[in-house]
Amino acid sequence: MKIYITGTGIVSGIGNSINETYNALLTEKTGLTQKEYPNLNRSFYTASVSLSNSQLAKSCNCKNEKISRSSLLGLKAAIECWGENQIHPNIKTGIISGTSVGGMDRSEIFYRSHLANEPANFNDLMFHDSGSVIEKVADHLNITDYINTISTACSSSSNAIMHGARLIKAGKLDRVLVGGVDALSEFTISGFKSLMIYNDELITPFDKDRNGLNLGEGAGFLLLESEASIAKTGNKILAEVSGYHNSSDAHHQTATSPTAIGATLALNGAIKNANLKIEDIDYINSHGTGTGNNDLTESVAYTNVFKENIPPFSSTKAYTGHTLAASGAIEAIFCILSLNNNVIFPNLNHKNSIPETNLTPVTTVTKDVNLTHILTNALGFGGNCTALIISKVK
Amino acid sequence: MLVNREELKKQIIEELNLEELTATDIADDALLFGDDGIGLDSIDALELIVLLEKFYGVELTNPEEGKEVFESISTMANYIEKNS
Amino acid sequence: MNYITTYCRITSNSISVNDCKTESNTTDLSSNLLEVYKNEALKYPKFHKMDLLAKAAFVGSELILKENTALGNYKDDEIALLFSNSESSEHSDSKFETSYKNNNPSPSQFVYTLPNILLGEIAIKNKWFGENIFLVSPTFDAGEIKQQIELMLMNSSKACFCGWVNVSDSNVDVFLFTIEQNQTEGIELTEINLITLYNK
Repeated sequence: MKIYITGTGIVSGIGNSINETYNALLTEKTGLTQKEYPNLNRSFYTASVSLSNSQLAKSCNCKNEKISRSSLLGLKAAIECWGENQIHPNIKTGIISGTSVGGMDRSEIFYRSHLANEPANFNDLMFHDSGSVIEKVADHLNITDYINTISTACSSSSNAIMHGARLIKAGKLDRVLVGGVDALSEFTISGFKSLMIYNDELITPFDKDRNGLNLGEGAGFLLLESEASIAKTGNKILAEVSGYHNSSDAHHQTATSPTAIGATLALNGAIKNANLKIEDIDYINSHGTGTGNNDLTESVAYTNVFKENIPPFSSTKAYTGHTLAASGAIEAIFCILSLNNNVIFPNLNHKNSIPETNLTPVTTVTKDVNLTHILTNALGFGGNCTALIISKVK
Repeated sequence: MLVNREELKKQIIEELNLEELTATDIADDALLFGDDGIGLDSIDALELIVLLEKFYGVELTNPEEGKEVFESISTMANYIEKNS
Repeated sequence: MNYITTYCRITSNSISVNDCKTESNTTDLSSNLLEVYKNEALKYPKFHKMDLLAKAAFVGSELILKENTALGNYKDDEIALLFSNSESSEHSDSKFETSYKNNNPSPSQFVYTLPNILLGEIAIKNKWFGENIFLVSPTFDAGEIKQQIELMLMNSSKACFCGWVNVSDSNVDVFLFTIEQNQTEGIELTEINLITLYNK
């Protein structure tokens, strides 16, 4: 059974819609800027969504702007993705989202006051839990058949896509909104800083002198449908989820293994799941966070799987920053834009290759490329590795 | 300022949750990292950086320096004494 | 046919494996887990660095593995890990929040501000490279978990190691179990059987 993608919706530091995002990608326009974080006593390079909470709430017809920013970002992207779809009693419809921070942006407001022994609003804690983010979206779109939240760090939304596809193949659902959301928070910025992997400069994925990541925020959703559902909805097919696989690296809580075993198993597994051969992969949208550890491991994984014939690859995180749980879905959407426009988006800021593996990513926008099958992978903390294959539908 | 090595060992055991060790289990020149050492890992290295600052006011901004500084209790103590 | 072959229940003052219960005098989960760790001679110093959520999942998984040694016969990528809870990593989130608000952000605490790290700990200890997922849901959802297990077993996994792990200062609600196929012994995997074991 084929799993088709019939909708996409996105919001990130480079755009508040699919069209805006595509234009930014084509013009190599990054969303990363130096931003002051007074509570952290310094500035960091981050990629924020340009809309404020009240602007997001207004654009989504959401009456309560004091809900978590994650929920508002999720609503914005999910509404774009859902488009003109309607709830139908004969089309079992679900929603699955990934998140790592949930409503942390509001919890921080609470804790700041609470820890300073000032009056704090307990209502701010109501949005903390990861599940509440997607429940707001489900409520807004009236989706009730199936709601689930996945929390596996940076691979969360990739796992949401995989899980959604499986549910359709198993006949449990006909149509499912899948994706992920994460708003920026001082919590995660501090955390990555404490791990000494936050780059004080702009990130340089797969570069010899890479020195850590920059964070971004955003939300990305895809609408997956079976053929039978499309026969009822009449939705236009954008692409296909043709393969997926998830593996564990079983090495360290936050570092990836030097042998890249988890990533290698995930990549090979996805290619096998899609009934493809390694030479069928035309391009890889990498995880490429810009940390010393990740980019080396990922390069080793590509060499393990593809040997001498590594397809063109690039990390797009120098555009959007690392959007954590949302990254899998956001980057899957970039793959769809690549497929349907025959274009590869570049790995910005690259100067010199990693000496141990000597791989060079695509560094400029490359048009008129024949793309049929794209691999995209996400390597999450906890050793959670997921690879997806997105394929063109002619 | 002279560093009390026994005190430093206790701080390390406490901050890094090394509950199966006591100060007497860690020789001054014993390797801290790797399989030949007392088995600290990369996250422990980061916690040691926090410990240096929290207890001794010494900042280590370059994690690469950490390999030498955190080789043993002696090298750590010497570094603190030199930089505080 | 899928079977529940081992199960472990941890509450604030008791730990049971396949109905064999040990009660403790205190309701302090941390000291209860430490006692089991010592009594069972688990010998894994990394245990002490884990947060309470990971410690609970780890101890439970070790007890299950001692009870069901046949789990060692599966290949290293054949056992899928499927865990869920309602609190995510809230217990560690608050600790980390305090640490960075006091200008001493703790890297080791930040590591545990993701609930799926406990999956990583179990995978690292056992060198399991199979599929692993963590779900957040309001309650222990036996129907959803059964469905997930079936999806995993339909794909590349041959057995599942599952858990509902909620831990806070006031509440300990941990239920771990293994699912295997075509067994001669075990409890049939149904929603009702899962709920019954969970409520025991």
